[in-house]
Amino acid sequence: MIDIIQVIVSSPFLQRALFAAVLVAVIAAASGTFLVFRGLSFMASGVAHAALGGTALGIFLQESGLVPWFDPILGALLFSILVAAFTGYAGESGITQKMEVAVGVSFALSMSLAVFLMYYIPPYRVPQIWGYLVGDILLLNDFDIIMLMSTAVLLGVITLMFNKEFVYVSVDMEGSVAHGMNARMYHYAMLIVSALAIALATKAVGAILVYAILVAPAAASNELVKSVRGVIFSVFLIALIAELIGLITSFVVYVSPSAIAGILAALSYILALQIRRVRERVQTEIEETSLAPEDLVETFNQSITIEQKGDHNHEH
Amino acid sequence: MATTPLLEAQNLAVRYPNGELALHNVSFTIKSPSFMAIIGPNGSGKSTLVKAALGLIKPFRGTIKVLGYDSVKQASKIRKQIRYVPQRDRIELAVPMKVKDIVLMGRLLKKLPPRIASSKDIEIARDALRQVNMDSLWNHPFPELSGGQRQRVLVARALAGEGSVLVLDEPLAGTDVESQDLIVEALGRYHRENDVSIIMITHDLNPIHTLVQDVLLLKNTVIGIGEPCSIMEPELIKKVYGPTAKIVEHSGHRYCLTRDSGFDRHD
Ligand SMILES: Nc1ncnc2c1ncn2[C@@H]1O[C@H](COP(=O)(O)OP(=O)(O)O)[C@@H](O)[C@H]1O
Ligand SMILES: [Mg+2]
Repeated sequence: MIDIIQVIVSSPFLQRALFAAVLVAVIAAASGTFLVFRGLSFMASGVAHAALGGTALGIFLQESGLVPWFDPILGALLFSILVAAFTGYAGESGITQKMEVAVGVSFALSMSLAVFLMYYIPPYRVPQIWGYLVGDILLLNDFDIIMLMSTAVLLGVITLMFNKEFVYVSVDMEGSVAHGMNARMYHYAMLIVSALAIALATKAVGAILVYAILVAPAAASNELVKSVRGVIFSVFLIALIAELIGLITSFVVYVSPSAIAGILAALSYILALQIRRVRERVQTEIEETSLAPEDLVETFNQSITIEQKGDHNHEH
Repeated sequence: MATTPLLEAQNLAVRYPNGELALHNVSFTIKSPSFMAIIGPNGSGKSTLVKAALGLIKPFRGTIKVLGYDSVKQASKIRKQIRYVPQRDRIELAVPMKVKDIVLMGRLLKKLPPRIASSKDIEIARDALRQVNMDSLWNHPFPELSGGQRQRVLVARALAGEGSVLVLDEPLAGTDVESQDLIVEALGRYHRENDVSIIMITHDLNPIHTLVQDVLLLKNTVIGIGEPCSIMEPELIKKVYGPTAKIVEHSGHRYCLTRDSGFDRHD
């Protein structure tokens, strides 16, 4: 144990990785929670892959000399905002299915673009694109951390300030507009800030981990926890624990920390489903034993009233 | 005394982006205050009419005004006066809301961020839940309620709010007899005791026909408008609900038999 702490203190890579783990957990709690509430968990992977397409475009613009100053991260951010805006537009009326289609289309488009551009960029830069898929939390530099921290803080503050608005938009978009709330603005703010955070988290830890960490803990918590705040908090804990166990394991045995974290996050959802099933079974058993007599009385009363009504009908 | 009408439509037409003309040539006036019902079979444009009135959908042609305010140009003025409960399938159940959160929404939506509930808000919300006999479930998860209980909570959301016009889209859909009675009684009492108008969409007029003052019968355009008994004409009803629809009279009231609503209840 003391050995591990010593390693952490002396290794800047590990320090950055631990800090990034906390930041990604913040992003999961703030963004993943609301995506799952809105039935939009698919957007996490859509944005992550759009970021990949945007990076490919950025590298292409740089290498071809068309726009030499264009940092690939700008491409990633631009594409993720576009996906969020497109999804938001499709979902202005609050219909989830339309948003899903929008995410699916932008997913396909940005991946196709990435693969298309790969033929035109120098081979030594192609791994940078694939880095967005697998990523490595142990290879972050200071700039990555600063970017990740800025968006995590922005996302966290906005979510704290406007969590009621985000909840209202998720629960009842039409009702929110009709009562005079600027629901459209909150709808877009929620999607765009989430998308920015997802894109930067993707650059830091890879699309696959982002997807696992953003969606699975939120889905798991939403099965079991019965208040919005509770879900947000529980997502943060599950995500953080999964990532920490991943990091620690990677020191003991030779494995990718992201892989372990992803597997643990996914397991948390399966576990939550099981717990819920057991809970429900216990509940129905209690209800069945305690409510049976009342139920019978109710049915009996109903059958009597239906008969009375039946008589009535015949008279008129 | 001439007051501004509650609803006033002039040659209103609404077309959805997919080209479907949901409403056409809709012109009518309803005086204020009123307890009015909008009736018609599924797909007749009831929800569309209400959404157009609240500025949620823009008219394709013509205008609709609420309390004299144009639905497009003065939507924000209308929304100050409105308490709206959409059709129940528009409420997302994946969010872990408590019963109290839903009811307080009716008040907090009209505030500015951070929309904190005061003790007065909580008291009013509790009282609204009491009206529909749901106050004991204050802390209960909303998605775990039965369909009828959810409708009762949504009606309480409207009762708890502020603004002189309550708009409820099919609040009786999917309710059992108990919930239906509670909702109808609560709305009737609220209308008697407060200076508000209620616009209620329903495809079954029978449970509320003794309460409502005006009825608008729709089938993509206005088929009939007037007092409940004048709308309950066999000719009109058959035009909308098909040849199997019947009208029966019982203790001075007319009841409508459509296959859509099953047999009515006699009180
Ligand atoms: N978002 C929409 N897009 C396209 N068509 C719609 C939409 N909403 C409703 N409609 C169509 O408009 C007509 C009226 O719908 P609606 O107002 O919901 O009827 P009602 O509330 O009376 O059941 C229906 O034919 C319906 O299919
Ligand atoms: Mg409708």
